[in-house]
Amino acid sequence: MITIHLEPDNEVIELHGTKTVLAVLNRLKLRSTMAIVARDGQLLTPDRRLNPGETLMVRKVTSAG
Amino acid sequence: MKCSRCKQLACVSLPSHHSGFCAECYPIFFTRQVETAIRREKMFTHDERILVALSGGKDSLSLMLELAFQGYDVTGLHIDLGIPGSSEKARAKVENFCTAHGLSLQVLEMEKEGLPIPDIKEHVKRPVCSVCGRIKRHHFNRIALEGGYDALATGHNLDDEVARLFANTLRWDTAYLSDQGPVLPARQGFTRKVKPLFRLSEFETANYAFLKDIEIHSDPCPYASGASFTSHKELWGELEHRSPGQKFQFYQGFLKNGKPAFAAREQEIGEPLAPCIECGSPTSAGTCSVCRIKAAVRESKAKAAEA
Ligand code: SF4
Ligand SMILES: [Zn+2]
Ligand SMILES: [Zn+2]
Repeated sequence: MITIHLEPDNEVIELHGTKTVLAVLNRLKLRSTMAIVARDGQLLTPDRRLNPGETLMVRKVTSAG
Repeated sequence: MKCSRCKQLACVSLPSHHSGFCAECYPIFFTRQVETAIRREKMFTHDERILVALSGGKDSLSLMLELAFQGYDVTGLHIDLGIPGSSEKARAKVENFCTAHGLSLQVLEMEKEGLPIPDIKEHVKRPVCSVCGRIKRHHFNRIALEGGYDALATGHNLDDEVARLFANTLRWDTAYLSDQGPVLPARQGFTRKVKPLFRLSEFETANYAFLKDIEIHSDPCPYASGASFTSHKELWGELEHRSPGQKFQFYQGFLKNGKPAFAAREQEIGEPLAPCIECGSPTSAGTCSVCRIKAAVRESKAKAAEA
């Protein structure tokens, strides 16, 4: 299981069976340039692999305005 | 993925540039893009004084930090809109940011100007965002001129520019299409306006802000609707995903081939500007829109007081 902190929505989402950053983005219906993804304060590219139990920050980049 | 510069593990992937960068090299990429924008569009020089509009969002703060890093003479200007529960937070972030980085900042309070945004929401029938936008542009321009600044810089990025161009195109708004661009030269009553981040996407500024530890104001304004704008951005995000680089090509193509044609047409049919009879700001309507809004709010308040 991967825990996602979604910003700026301030939601916590749990995902099962996602093994890469790209898979997480797909599940969240986000294209790779629509959000930045970080683990332990480090940015990750979509090809990075994830391990069960990890927590990610996913921040959507589109600002209204 | 490996960094295109140093071959270490990349942390940002940029399909439109066919490259990726690590945390050390990414800010170098960002700096180059801003340098190129300033140089090619002749935005300003190191001898000029630049006023930077700071909303508290990632774009404006990234812009301020980067221009200061490049050695430009920058002063921030934040407009406190007086919206309860939102404006205090935005203002605090801007103030903390400028203090932390030793940057000079000026704050204008709409409350003191007699026109806090909640009053507009209550007393003016037009959509609050269009009025709010006008008021901000009015004061940014006024303060730039009064303070003797050479240019006003805003944090508009490529996605903002493309979304706006797209909206203007859908309406075939020739007046807006004639002067949208990364630089608007100074003319009577208007300061020079520049957008040094116009080559960078929202994704690119978000990565920069994250790597530079910029604490951003991301709580949306309670009055924000922005629905059509956001949906245009999503549409473009999809196009960009299918053919990376298309956004930039669309915008560059407009600047090269579209804008001159609209500018020529606007020369023929555009309305001449004259100073507003109340505040002196340039307008084509005798009294400028901001002075008219002020009068409308005053009237509506007086009526409410009588009732
Ligand atoms: S969302 Fe609308 S009202 Fe709120 S700050 Fe932006 S323009 Fe002004
Ligand atoms: Zn590198
Ligand atoms: Zn006026």
